[in-house]
Amino acid sequence: MAKVGYEFAPHSFTIERGKIKEFVNAIGDDHAVHTDRDAAKAAGYRDVIAPPTYLTVMDNWSGPDFEDRCRELEIDPLKVLHAEQAYEYLADIYPGDELTETSKVTEVSEKEGKTGRLLFIVMEKSYKRKNETVAICRTTTVVRN
Amino acid sequence: MGAELYFEDVRVGNPLPELVKGPVTEVQLVKYAGASGDFNPIHTVHQIAEKAGLGGVIAHGMLIMGFVAQGITRWVPNRCLRTFKVRFAGITRPGDVITVSGRVTDKRTEGGQNLIACEVTAKNQKGETKITGEFQAALPSRGNR
Repeated sequence: MAKVGYEFAPHSFTIERGKIKEFVNAIGDDHAVHTDRDAAKAAGYRDVIAPPTYLTVMDNWSGPDFEDRCRELEIDPLKVLHAEQAYEYLADIYPGDELTETSKVTEVSEKEGKTGRLLFIVMEKSYKRKNETVAICRTTTVVRN
Repeated sequence: MGAELYFEDVRVGNPLPELVKGPVTEVQLVKYAGASGDFNPIHTVHQIAEKAGLGGVIAHGMLIMGFVAQGITRWVPNRCLRTFKVRFAGITRPGDVITVSGRVTDKRTEGGQNLIACEVTAKNQKGETKITGEFQAALPSRGNR
């Protein structure tokens, strides 16, 4: 079972404009500041800007994937749902940025739900560009009984 | 995009411009899985979603959070966003049409920043809540353009 203090191995990821475009296309977010450099510059950005939920791409593509994560946390992948997600933004994120993510389990708790016992796992993730923290994220996962 | 949003122009109680997304399709879930790297099969593989007791594939919570982010950044520029957190209150399924709405709950000047706080929700066509959340943004002031 997941333990408080468990840390995942740090991993790195380079932000790419093509991957940002693929991500906003999947969401159907047509705001040009994410895909058109000229539009982004006209809006005061130095390049296309990564959208607010973009760091989930880094979580999944550069870190352990879903199956690995479940294995590391010793939870059943079929029972997992996403309960909460909280971001704190400290800097804009642009193509070419090389980020390093660290993540660890900060809380594990159990609650009695309508359909039985629920296990809540909170993870805190920190994203750095060199020594500057650009964002912090808290993810709560629920494991159904 | 309209004119720039200034702190002085925002009042507590002001609504966020509504954003209607969808209907969510299974193809969109496949696209989002690829774009985000979240390959949890409950989002794309029917047999597995059934086995997980979900009665069919369900949308990634982060896709719906992406809808909410789109709704926010149509109104508040991406760079102004300081915090954004959500609770996933219900499961979204293919066919759901999601409406993102919200309103300003607070405004204050703190640490030299002109902050607004807003609550946001995502609901489907039946009025079922899928996300409740809040965000804070630091807005420019007309006084120091």
